Amino acid sequence: MDFTNLASQLNAGVILPESTVVITLLVVLVSDLLYGRASARWTPYFAIAGLLVAFGLLCLQWDQPNTLAFLGSFNADNLSIVFRSIIALSSAVTILMSVRYVDQAGSAIGEFMSILLSATVGGMFLSGAEELVMIFVSLETLSIASYLMTGYMKRDPRSNEAALKYLLIGASSSAIFLYGLSLLYGLSGGKTHLADIALALGNGTENTLALVIALVFVIAGVSFKIAAVPFHQWTPDVYEGSPTPVVAFLSVGSKAAGFALAIRLLTDAFPALIEQWHFIFTALAILSMILGNVVAIAQTSMKRMLAYSSIAQAGFVMIGMVVGTEAGYASMVFYLMIYLFMNLGAFACIILFALRTGTDQISDYAGLYHKDPFLTLALSICLLSLGGIPPLAGFFGKLYLFWAAWQAGAYGLVLLGLITSVVSIYYYIRVVKMMVVKEPQEMSEVIKNYPVISWQPFGMRPLQVGVFLTLISTSLAGILSNPLFTLVNHSVADVPMLQGHPLVARNAAEKARSPLAVVGFPINAQDKS
Amino acid sequence: MNLAEGVQFVSFIILAVLVIGAALGVVLFDKIVYSAFLLGGVFISIAGIYLLQNADFVAAAQILVYVGAINVLILFAIMLVNKKENYAPIPRRWIRKGSAAAVSIGLFVLLSIMLTRTHWSVDLSVASPALPIETIGEHLFSDYLLPFELASVLLLMALIGAVVLARREEIEGETTAIVGELPAPALELPERPREPVA
Repeated sequence: MDFTNLASQLNAGVILPESTVVITLLVVLVSDLLYGRASARWTPYFAIAGLLVAFGLLCLQWDQPNTLAFLGSFNADNLSIVFRSIIALSSAVTILMSVRYVDQAGSAIGEFMSILLSATVGGMFLSGAEELVMIFVSLETLSIASYLMTGYMKRDPRSNEAALKYLLIGASSSAIFLYGLSLLYGLSGGKTHLADIALALGNGTENTLALVIALVFVIAGVSFKIAAVPFHQWTPDVYEGSPTPVVAFLSVGSKAAGFALAIRLLTDAFPALIEQWHFIFTALAILSMILGNVVAIAQTSMKRMLAYSSIAQAGFVMIGMVVGTEAGYASMVFYLMIYLFMNLGAFACIILFALRTGTDQISDYAGLYHKDPFLTLALSICLLSLGGIPPLAGFFGKLYLFWAAWQAGAYGLVLLGLITSVVSIYYYIRVVKMMVVKEPQEMSEVIKNYPVISWQPFGMRPLQVGVFLTLISTSLAGILSNPLFTLVNHSVADVPMLQGHPLVARNAAEKARSPLAVVGFPINAQDKS
Repeated sequence: MNLAEGVQFVSFIILAVLVIGAALGVVLFDKIVYSAFLLGGVFISIAGIYLLQNADFVAAAQILVYVGAINVLILFAIMLVNKKENYAPIPRRWIRKGSAAAVSIGLFVLLSIMLTRTHWSVDLSVASPALPIETIGEHLFSDYLLPFELASVLLLMALIGAVVLARREEIEGETTAIVGELPAPALELPERPREPVA
C-alpha cells in the first residue's frame, strides 16, 4: 500500500470539525503560555468561536455521500453529525458559563478550557467511532479529561472527593468495558470493525454464553457513562463536588457521547443479540426513571437534585432506544437535542445564583422573584421544560418519545414514563414555587442580602449570553420543533442499522463488508421514503 | 511432545504459577510495599507469557511501560506518603472480605466455564510476521491511524492535567466576588458546603 493510494483512501476531510477543535485547543494553550493570565481576556471567546466554526463545518457536512473515513475507523454519517453538534454546542455553552466561575475561584481558565476542549474532541470522535481501538481511545480521552475537570477546584475537599471517586469507579468500569471488547475481538476471530464483528458473530446461536458476557460487560461500561441505575452511584457526589460548569458538560455533552456510543456499538456489533440488549436496557430504563425521580424529591441541594434528575432523564431517553424502531431512535436524538438547551439553561441559572449568593440550597431560593425576576424566569422555564410542561420544548420531546414507544407497543414503559414524569414535575415545581410564591417576609437570609444586579464584572456578560440563549432555545424549540423533527428523522433514516428489523441490519452489515464499502463508498442500504 | 514443546510447557507452568502466586500476594499482603513489589513480579511474569507466544514487542512494551513506569510510580507514591496512621479495626470486617472473595470466585468460575465452552475461531493460517515491529508500524499508520493520532491529544491533555494538579498556586487577591459579603476562598467551590446532617 503506497502513500498516495493510502492518502486518497483516508477521506480525512470528514474530521475537519474535530481538527478545528484541536487547533483551537493548541492556540488557547500556546497563547496562555506566551501571554499568561492576560490572555484570559480573549481566549474564551476564541475557544467559543472555534467550537462554532466546528459546528458550521458539521452543518456543511450534512448528507455527504462518502461517510466512512480512515479505512473504516470513523463514520461521519448524519447520526454522528447530530451527536457531534450536540457535544460541540454543549461545550461552547459550558465555556460561556465557566469564564466567571473559574475566574472567581482564582484558578486558571486557559488550562481549564484546554482540558474541556480535549474532552470535546474525545466525545466527538466517540460519536462516530466504528472500530474497537478508536472507541476505546476516544472514550478514554473523554473520561480522563472529565476526571481532571472534576478535580479542578483542588483546595476544596468536596472536589477532591468527587475526582477520586469518579476516577476509581471510572477506571474500573473502563477495565470491564475493555474486557468485553477483548471478548468480542476473540469471538469474532480478530476483527475490530463493528460491521465485521457482527458478521463474524453470525446469528448468535453458537457461543451464546460468551456473547452474553461480552454484551453485559460492554453495557456496564456504557451505562457508567450515561449514569444509568445501577451504575449511577458516582453521580450525586461527583455532581455535588465538581465545578458547576463541569457538571453541565458531564450531564449533556458526556452523556450524549455515551448514548452515541451505545447506539452505534449495540446496533452495529450486536444485531444477533437484539432481544437481550433490549431487555437489559429496558431494565436500566425502568430503574433509572424510578430511582432518579423518587430520590430527587428528597434532595435539598440544587446540584444534587439536578444530578438525580439527569439520571431520570437518561431513563426517558433509553425508552427511545429500547423500542428499537426508527421513530424510537429519532425521538431519542430529538430529546437529547432539547435536553441540551434546557439542562444547560438550568445549570447556567444555578451558576449565576451560586456566584451571586454563594449557595445552592433549594431553600435559599425562597423569594428570589422579588430580587431578580430575570433569573427567576429563566430558571423556572428551564425547570418546567425539564418537567415536561407544555408548550415548552421538553413537553414536545417527551411527547415524541412516548408516542414512538406507544406505536411500538411498549405500553408499560410509556405508563411508567408518564407516572414518573408527574413525580418529576412535583420536584421541579417545588423550586419554582419556592422562588415565585413566597411573600417578601418569607425571603431567605441569602435573598435578603442579594447583591445589586450587575453584569459589568469580568465574565458576567458571557454568562448572561448563555442564560439568554438557552432560555430562548428552550422556549422556542418546542413551538418551532418541526425543522428539528425532520432533521432527526433524516439523520436516523440514513443509518441502515437503525431500521429496527434485524434482517435489514444483517443485509446492511453484508453490504458494509463489500470491498466498495471498505474503501469508503456510501453504504446507503435503502431509501426510506 | 518433542523437546521444544516440553520446554515451552514447563516454562508456561512456571510462569503461570508465578503470575498467580504474585497476584495473590498483591491482594493478601498487609504491607503495601510488598504488594507493590509483587505487582512488578506479576507484570514481568506476564511479559514472559507474551514471550512464549512469540509476541516479543508486546513483552518489551509490557516491561518498559508497566514495570518501568507504572510500578516505579507506585513505589514513589508509597515512599512519599509516609504518614503513619492507625486505623481502628472495622467490626465484622470478615463479612466484607468474605463477600469480596465470594464474588471474585463466582466471577472466576463463570469466566472459566465461558472460556472452556466457547469455540474460539482461531485462524491458524496466518503465520507470525517476520518483522513484527514493522507490521505494527504499518498498522499504526494505515488502519489505526486515527486512534494513534487521537492518543497524542490524550497525552497532551494528561500532561496539562498533571501540571494543573501538581503546581503550586499563587493566589491572586484581585478577584473580587460580586457578593457583598466575604468572597469564597480561592480554588474552592463557590457553593457553601452543606451542613452535616445531625
